[in-house]
Amino acid sequence: MNKHSVFRTILAGIFALAAFAAAPAKAEPGDEYARPAKPAKQYTIGVALPQLSNPHFVAMLYGFIDEAEKLGVKKVVWFEAGGYQYLDKQLSQIEDLIASKVDAIILVAVNGPGTVGAVESAVAAGIPVINCNVMTDSDKVVTRIRSDDTIIGEKEADFMGPALNGSGKVVMLRGAPGTSWAENRGNAFKKRLAEKFPAVKVIGEQYSQSTPADGLKLMEDFLQTFPQIDGVYDGTDTVAIGAAQAVLASGKKGKIVITTADFQADTEKFIRDGVINMSVVQEPVIIGRWGMRAAINTLEKQTVPKVLWTPLLQVTSANVNNIDMSSVRAPVGWKPPER
Amino acid sequence: MPAILIAMALFFGTINPNFWSVTNLGNVARQISVLALISIGQTFAILSAGIDLSVGSLLALVSVVCAQAMLDFGLVAGIVIGVLAGCLVGLINGILIAKAKVPAFIATLGMLVAARGLALTLSGGLPIAGLPHAFMMIGAGYWGPIPIPAVIAAVSFIVAFFVLSRTRFGRYVYAMGSNEEAAVLSGINVAKYKILVYVVSGMFAGIAGVVLTSRVISGQPTLGEVQELYSIAAVVIGGGKITGGVGGIGRTLMGVLILAMLSNGLNLIQVSSYIQNIVVGVIIVLAVYIDLAREQRR
Repeated sequence: MNKHSVFRTILAGIFALAAFAAAPAKAEPGDEYARPAKPAKQYTIGVALPQLSNPHFVAMLYGFIDEAEKLGVKKVVWFEAGGYQYLDKQLSQIEDLIASKVDAIILVAVNGPGTVGAVESAVAAGIPVINCNVMTDSDKVVTRIRSDDTIIGEKEADFMGPALNGSGKVVMLRGAPGTSWAENRGNAFKKRLAEKFPAVKVIGEQYSQSTPADGLKLMEDFLQTFPQIDGVYDGTDTVAIGAAQAVLASGKKGKIVITTADFQADTEKFIRDGVINMSVVQEPVIIGRWGMRAAINTLEKQTVPKVLWTPLLQVTSANVNNIDMSSVRAPVGWKPPER
Repeated sequence: MPAILIAMALFFGTINPNFWSVTNLGNVARQISVLALISIGQTFAILSAGIDLSVGSLLALVSVVCAQAMLDFGLVAGIVIGVLAGCLVGLINGILIAKAKVPAFIATLGMLVAARGLALTLSGGLPIAGLPHAFMMIGAGYWGPIPIPAVIAAVSFIVAFFVLSRTRFGRYVYAMGSNEEAAVLSGINVAKYKILVYVVSGMFAGIAGVVLTSRVISGQPTLGEVQELYSIAAVVIGGGKITGGVGGIGRTLMGVLILAMLSNGLNLIQVSSYIQNIVVGVIIVLAVYIDLAREQRR
């Protein structure tokens, strides 16, 4: 480690601490969305998820199912599409949920524009749709339960700028094309950098499917393309894990600042090891619980807000021990139930 | 095969009565239509002792081209240009195979990769949104109780059936597939008809791409992954011979119905999608095995 990077690491640490001190563990929490009373009727709720290979969605599914048990739901019929590229599969799954006559559908969309037709079919069949975490472009949904992706992108920029001492070269691994999170986080990151840290330049950006393998390959290629990279923005930790492995393998650990979103086990390890510097963490279990509560409230004819903002945490090596895992991950050993 | 189909339908219907509901039959019909359309084209290719691996990627390329053309030149132009894009790619496949003598497997494998790359390049990897709402009719609309995609697929099946069984081109397709040398010796312009086979396959992929684009009401460069393999599966499950010459549109329809009913039925009786994959894999091999066993007994 040369002098410059030691300085940078210390600086990063200081800013991390400052950010932590300034913002309590729950940075921008929406108001708590309380659990409704257990309804008299036992409902069947359909859930459509993008991919269970990402622990983020396993945690969310746990949230849906655990909350459903607490609310006396008869059955949660869940599907995963197997990846953001399988839009046609998610559409068929939504249509099959409609045909199965579930009482409500909770949709985590694989694609914004692509899911409009399916949502409208569900609504036309009298089945309300609750949209969680990844947004559909349809305006027919009852409510959107979402993290403020703009804030996630801005927080990554607000960390990156000072950590690079106000100037440097950054590459962006944006995540899955056509998803609300990849778009909004990436755009907010770039906008914030341009406004607050104009000397930090984005020299390359790419979309990829949301897997560590795709992130690894993309980052290896970036490292080949650009002799100097000072920072890496990741839209989600599934790609950041791959990027971190590429940085480790290139021997540039500590010389490249990595920011990302979310907090699966590998992300935690890389934050502890100082490879990933900061992550803006969503609380998928909470998103799942709120989604199920909103579904029940809708079916019980209670008013549901049009948008519910879910809480965000900012995690660095300084506060990695203080995270409430019960809202971030499914319990250790939990497996999705047989359907 | 029809017996298996009926047994499957009865089985699913008993476990989940919703299987027989009008909504769900409409569902199956709609979900089936894209696979049905590309399987028609695949039937031509396999019957002629070839194969078309490019049809899955072609769905994505057509989707992107159709959506962009629709934004630039309007609804009808978008649809026409989308289908033409499919034909054009088919033409390139055909020329590579018939004139340059590149094996069909390799030529269309190359196209599989290239067409996906072209779709991603043209769209920048992003979905193309903002298509006119009226375009949704094709994917989501109904003609009486029947979903429009199913109507399109049904008409295509009927046309393809007549082409294969009643026209000279149809007979030549079988002839090329049974024995290409004999076909050449009996004076058939094999190169010309081979090219036509891949144009037909590309055209049906084009139609399927437009239908799928309407279903997702946007141009999507990631559509159709591994669909080419399902179209091959549909042909062989129905009883088409993978080496050509034997099979037909009716058999392919049977294969498509079995695949679609499996996936929808297993979803409705809530079998996990992982187990579904195992079931489909077993059925593909089993269907071909039964066919072979029957042939040997003859």
